[in-house]
Amino acid sequence: MIKAKNLDPNFKYQLSRELGGENLEYCFNCTGCACGCPVAEVDPDFNPRKIIRMGILGMTKELIESESFWKCVSCYTCFARCPQDVRITEVLYALKNMAVREALKGNIEIETTKPIFDKMFIDSIKDNGRVAEAMVFAKYKLKTEGIKGLMEQFSMGLEMFKKGKIPILPEKIKGKKQVKRIFEKAGIK
Amino acid sequence: MKYSYYPGCTLHASTKEYDMSTRAVCEKLGIELVELEDWNCCGALGAFSYNYFLSVALPARNLALAERKNLKLAAPCNACFHNLAKANKLIKDSEDLKKRVNDVMDIPYNGTAEVRHLLDIIVNEVGLETVAKSITRPLKGLRVVPYYGCLIVRPTEIARFDDQENPQSLDNLLKTLGAEVLPFPMKVKCCGASLVVNDEELAFQLTKRILETAKDVGANCVAVTCPLCHTNLDAYQSKIESKYNVTLGLPVLYFTQIMGLAMGIEPKKLGLEKNMVPTDKIVESVTGVKKVPQLVKMKAGGK
Repeated sequence: MIKAKNLDPNFKYQLSRELGGENLEYCFNCTGCACGCPVAEVDPDFNPRKIIRMGILGMTKELIESESFWKCVSCYTCFARCPQDVRITEVLYALKNMAVREALKGNIEIETTKPIFDKMFIDSIKDNGRVAEAMVFAKYKLKTEGIKGLMEQFSMGLEMFKKGKIPILPEKIKGKKQVKRIFEKAGIK
Repeated sequence: MKYSYYPGCTLHASTKEYDMSTRAVCEKLGIELVELEDWNCCGALGAFSYNYFLSVALPARNLALAERKNLKLAAPCNACFHNLAKANKLIKDSEDLKKRVNDVMDIPYNGTAEVRHLLDIIVNEVGLETVAKSITRPLKGLRVVPYYGCLIVRPTEIARFDDQENPQSLDNLLKTLGAEVLPFPMKVKCCGASLVVNDEELAFQLTKRILETAKDVGANCVAVTCPLCHTNLDAYQSKIESKYNVTLGLPVLYFTQIMGLAMGIEPKKLGLEKNMVPTDKIVESVTGVKKVPQLVKMKAGGK
């Protein structure tokens, strides 16, 4: 049962102030977003309507701890079908941003490993200006799934290497310092 | 016709065949592509999840570089196109965001760049009539399903050139090339995108149903417009086959590779041997030239 005293009435305002979260409160709970959501079609645990509803009600802890929003594939089907222009995909980005910030502050722990990948990905951009995709992927697999996880990707990796699809050295751009400064000035660690 | 060209990171690495076929086809069509000098990664989808502002600022540097060249920016990757066009729209719509972005950049951006997807350029700027004139080998025997993916058609405030539920531009292009284009209910259903990185199980279910539907409607190949879709449908296909004990064997080609075949461009120039699911049968059926198996070639050339 949902108890009003456990709800956080300010959460919807916090979320609405995030980039992408602006239209959260327009939602009238119609379920249009959940119809046609590809992830919801194969995973009954995922429901964008429920995520938006929990956000509006202020079920902050349950929502952040559920981590279900990390399953969103950003396909924008819900965004396209929402009659209220809630911009659900974008709201989910805002939620992810909030969760990452809280995790960096040490307030929460994120079990989903996607943010680890995202961080390695943007670190590669920070260092080189471009992403060394294969290297980031291998590093991520090794960190989250160990040698076994990395080896599971080996045959595909080898095949790709043979076809000349995996460069040995990462590409670096001349303006990589300019890119690094974007990170620094925006305060992104 | 001259454009700035933004290949994006994958076209320089794991999806080289898209870069090769894009360049080859554009040359034939008289489109001059000038690679944007010193471009940086657009942030892909990971940056948006990690830090929204970064996902506007990273593409903005590319927009600033493109603005200086005063040419439209052509992006063949759905995700790069989305990120560049989205950052562009957000910056144009908000003076506040424009200022914040310019505050973190060394090169100023005034908001005058224009970003177009390569498919949009070929269908709507070059035009299908010009494409038709360039065909030397109509694609008889090719039964293809057009797979658009997501970010090339959605959201419509960013991807503005086709219908978001039942797009037609790729259908019409493939028909112009002489291929049999099959009705495809999965044409805009997500392939799982980057979910494959951390949740293969879930992502594979999304990818598998696209490939299975393609087989069900009788396709002998899939046409795609995005390197991420291609990776999921092509590179992971054999893994999906063994995991679910199904036989798919469905070649997945970039629309530019298919165009190149119809224009009589040499398959090697289109990177057709770089696709993970062999494309030999498709090439054979179009060119009429049978590929000599590797083993036979070695024996013949040995001693």
